[in-house]
Amino acid sequence: MSAITISRLTKRYGPVVAVDDLSFDAHPGTVTGFLGPNGAGKTTTLRILLGLAAPTSGTATIGGLPYHKLPDPARQVGAALDGNVFHPGRSAAQHLRIIATAAGIPARRVPEVLGIVGLTDAAGRRVGGYSLGMRQRLNLAAALLGDPGTLVLDEPLNGLDPDGIRWMRTMLRTLAAEGRAVLVSSHLLNEVSQTVDDIVVVSRGRLVTQGPLAELAGRGALIRARTTDPARLVDVLLAAGLRASIADGATVEAMAATADEVGLAAAAAGVPILELTRHDEDLESLFFDLTDKTDKPDTPQEALS
Amino acid sequence: MTTTVSLWRLTRAETRKLFTTRAMPAIFAAAIALILVAVVVQAAVAGQQGTPPLDTDAGVYKLLNIGVVPCRVMLIVGILAAGGEYRHRTIVPTLLASPRRGRVFAVKVLVIGVTGAAFGAISFGIGLGAVVAELSAHHLHRLPPATGSLYAGAIIASAGLGMIGVALGALTRNTVGAIVAAIAWTILIEQIILQAIVPGIEKWLPTHAAVTLTASPAAGHTLSLTTPSLLLAGYAAAILLVASRTTLNRDIA
Repeated sequence: MSAITISRLTKRYGPVVAVDDLSFDAHPGTVTGFLGPNGAGKTTTLRILLGLAAPTSGTATIGGLPYHKLPDPARQVGAALDGNVFHPGRSAAQHLRIIATAAGIPARRVPEVLGIVGLTDAAGRRVGGYSLGMRQRLNLAAALLGDPGTLVLDEPLNGLDPDGIRWMRTMLRTLAAEGRAVLVSSHLLNEVSQTVDDIVVVSRGRLVTQGPLAELAGRGALIRARTTDPARLVDVLLAAGLRASIADGATVEAMAATADEVGLAAAAAGVPILELTRHDEDLESLFFDLTDKTDKPDTPQEALS
Repeated sequence: MTTTVSLWRLTRAETRKLFTTRAMPAIFAAAIALILVAVVVQAAVAGQQGTPPLDTDAGVYKLLNIGVVPCRVMLIVGILAAGGEYRHRTIVPTLLASPRRGRVFAVKVLVIGVTGAAFGAISFGIGLGAVVAELSAHHLHRLPPATGSLYAGAIIASAGLGMIGVALGALTRNTVGAIVAAIAWTILIEQIILQAIVPGIEKWLPTHAAVTLTASPAAGHTLSLTTPSLLLAGYAAAILLVASRTTLNRDIA
């Protein structure tokens, strides 16, 4: 059963459609990357999922129930939304104690989660003096308070330094390995590509693609085959339903294909293959190809010209 | 999880919120300091330039006119407690822990009401102690007959205006907006417009109810303690009801 189910979700703000008929699932034991450029509708979707905003239509449920109907929601779902949600005059420990009290979570969890996120030494300091990275860790600590089976994290890597990013990636993998469903939003695929199992890509509120990251990576694969008869090999690959063309002289390129598909098609047709190599397209480029449907200039130079 | 348990958790969390920032204790301390200064100044000028002397009831009532401080302070505290949730975006973790918004703000109203009553009692008690000390210094050992009513009035008005403050904060979702709205209501709408349009309506209005509870009988107010108390609670409930039907259910940014 899916931990998180978004079904035909739409959210309109007047004439603006922030989320448009969006559907996807996130499963226990996996990290799902919820990806899209800024303004794609990611945060709006997460707010609806967490009961902080109302959908125009469709549903967003956790374990089959909307957030406000979950018994003891903080024990089932840990959420960390992007931005500052702390009173600057309170310490981290006080902030967490207030949440724990309201949610009926034992007070002993406060030092435990502060230890997990590495804030024990700063627990008594006022949050107003925290760095962005420390606030991200405190956000995660609040999400972990109830030891929930589902985590919803909005841009948790934003503003982190390289050490912080590595720490957060390891933490997310660990949480998923414990069997939790982890939904992580980000506007940069590269940022989360080492962490996520599945991805959901949105643009302008609409679903662009979803599935295992490995599948998306495969979709960007380019197979280069060196052969004695490139023209014939192209014909064979086209006949096999692959996109292929002669790159130069004796090399044929097949897009979105596997080495097995090219090798087997060539062997069946009796075309000699001298060399077969796979070249993965940069994931980030693929992500931009999928999402960049706006009329933004491609380069800063273009914007300034 | 029973509703009672949930309400008890929320009550403890809301109480904890009040006393984990420096602002609230500072506001309470400043209010008590203001009361003490007011008592000392009133005692010093008593009997001078037409003010009644300390050996008259009217003179002592001037000193006992201290309930006005905690009730105004609690109006601000109530606004800060509710509007501050939106200002600092702590409303997000608050609603994640307890998604039922009406319940959260109803508990907030209750907690501020109880805090207001306690603060009214403590601050008036401290002020009363200062008054007794001033009178003793002048070899006077008698308090006027309405002292008990003024004490009770300070407690009730502090609780009532605190609850109205929370309701205003919930309605406006903005601390500055709520404070401006409260001042505009008190000075402009209640005292100038409504009283001009409907003479005699003032005794049914919240500011007048608070004044009735905290001012000395010499001011000539006619309402009992009960009516203004019910009025303040009614206004708090009505504003919160409007908020629950309007702004309280809006999307959280």
